[in-house]
Amino acid sequence: MSQPMKNPDADLPVVQRLASIFWPSFLTAAGFTVIFFTLFDPVQLSLISGGPAITRLGGYTIGFFSFWALTALSCALTCYFRRPCKPSGYKPGHQSGNT
Amino acid sequence: MSETKENKTPTQSDDIDQVLYKKREKIYPREVHGTFAMLRNTAMVTLLGLYYVLPWLTWEGRQALLFDLPARKFYIFGLTFWPQDFFFLAVALIIAALSLFFFTALAGRLWCGYACPQTVWTEIFLLMERWVEGGRRQRIKLDKGPKSLHTLRIKATKQILWIAFSLWTGFTFVGYFTPIHDLWHHLITWSLGPWETFWIFFYSFATYGNAGFMREQVCIYMCPYARFQSAMFDRDTLIISYDPKRGEPRGSRKRGKTGKEVGLGDCIDCKLCVQVCPTGIDIRDGLQYQCIGCAACIDVCDDVMDKMGYPKGLIKYTTENAMEGKKAHLLRPRVIIYSLLLAILVGGFIYGVATRVPLEVDVIRDRNSLYNETDAGLVENVYNLKLINMDEHPQRYRLSVSGIDNLRVVGPTDDIDVQSGAVVDLPLRVQVDPIELKSTSNEIVFHVESKTNPAIRYDAKARFLGPVVR
Repeated sequence: MSQPMKNPDADLPVVQRLASIFWPSFLTAAGFTVIFFTLFDPVQLSLISGGPAITRLGGYTIGFFSFWALTALSCALTCYFRRPCKPSGYKPGHQSGNT
Repeated sequence: MSETKENKTPTQSDDIDQVLYKKREKIYPREVHGTFAMLRNTAMVTLLGLYYVLPWLTWEGRQALLFDLPARKFYIFGLTFWPQDFFFLAVALIIAALSLFFFTALAGRLWCGYACPQTVWTEIFLLMERWVEGGRRQRIKLDKGPKSLHTLRIKATKQILWIAFSLWTGFTFVGYFTPIHDLWHHLITWSLGPWETFWIFFYSFATYGNAGFMREQVCIYMCPYARFQSAMFDRDTLIISYDPKRGEPRGSRKRGKTGKEVGLGDCIDCKLCVQVCPTGIDIRDGLQYQCIGCAACIDVCDDVMDKMGYPKGLIKYTTENAMEGKKAHLLRPRVIIYSLLLAILVGGFIYGVATRVPLEVDVIRDRNSLYNETDAGLVENVYNLKLINMDEHPQRYRLSVSGIDNLRVVGPTDDIDVQSGAVVDLPLRVQVDPIELKSTSNEIVFHVESKTNPAIRYDAKARFLGPVVR
């Protein structure tokens, strides 16, 4: 690449950028859901927590989407942090052309 | 030919970067006929048939294949699995992964080309698309041409077909996890539960999106296997390859002329191999990770070779070694190791399932007190036993305790009836003379044995606590 500071993601197709956040998180969330609900029964969990009564299917669904939200957040942060930092000689207000 | 303009596939390796980053161009795969197309269609019909039919089968009065999530039990024909059997699920998944490695080492991306749900559903969606919109040329014309009522009608018909098929797919999917007959009844009486409804739509949407729109992008951007499958390849793995020695230099010529007569190779550069490719690559550029090994290019090229009067096999299933004229090896260390591991795991799995004891005993100590002393001066511990009968039939159990001499059990110990698939709580008090206690914490064992079938027995360990021993 001619510009060393270029965001490596900038040229990726949108599909690939979205997939790299929502797809790995989906897979790991699915795995977690299976393991978690093998160990814990959502009906028992809702009894212990004293929260509103819930059906098993509802418990699995909420569990899966909570896991997915968390893993997607983690993937998004990874994508965010792997962007290059500002160069060492960077001064605020100086035009860098890279935002 | 106007169609050749559509094929902006790279011809040099320097273009690869550019191709990776360019905007996706919609791919219009041309229809293929031939040996491998027939194999692929057979696989598609068989797999889709299995998917849509299996949940409707019954076995001894219940759904034959049901991963009953609401009841936390998996039924696979005569077998019932419980959350306690998670180990078997894990082993089954490892076996599935290893089989994938094994077949990849042996025959390349067989899975991708013939069996992957993404391929299979894309094929059926393409079939519907072809049926409504016509062949490749008509589809391109329809998309590039002016919008009219006619094109709108055609597009709408396709969408309705796709959506209906997706919804049926979603319904079937949920039918694997909740009893499908009940689900059907709820559906026609318009009384589906909110979660069932949600998952039917969610899965339908995933099917519609992946098979209708994402297509090859799923393989390229989302599939982990596509990225690492090359690690299982070696020089003897079956791949689909173009023979450049025979084909090059490529070029068009009149029918009936041999390559030698016009100073060209056997490739007539008709670009049909590119047009049939579902991932839009040019196989003549060499092995590429986008190639899902569907062999559509083999079929279409063989056809062309036939028409030209050339021998078939300009594009064919081959190995790197075979292409270089070296000897091919079927048995390589890689293949032997994969098959050995597979044999051990499958053997262990079958043995494990066959000798599985359909009884589980959980011992829970009373949390309120470490121990009590009775009026008679005995030390007493309180337990709650959970007996889970995982057998197909009701069982009558007997219970005994060992570990300390002269233990007494207060509570039901004989003729404990548990229905098939039921859980029974047994509150028990275990008493012993403090003289018998060797330490403050002692191990005791609850033995539960079926009187109906003595082969069903389970030993559960527990702690018996007492006063500090002088």
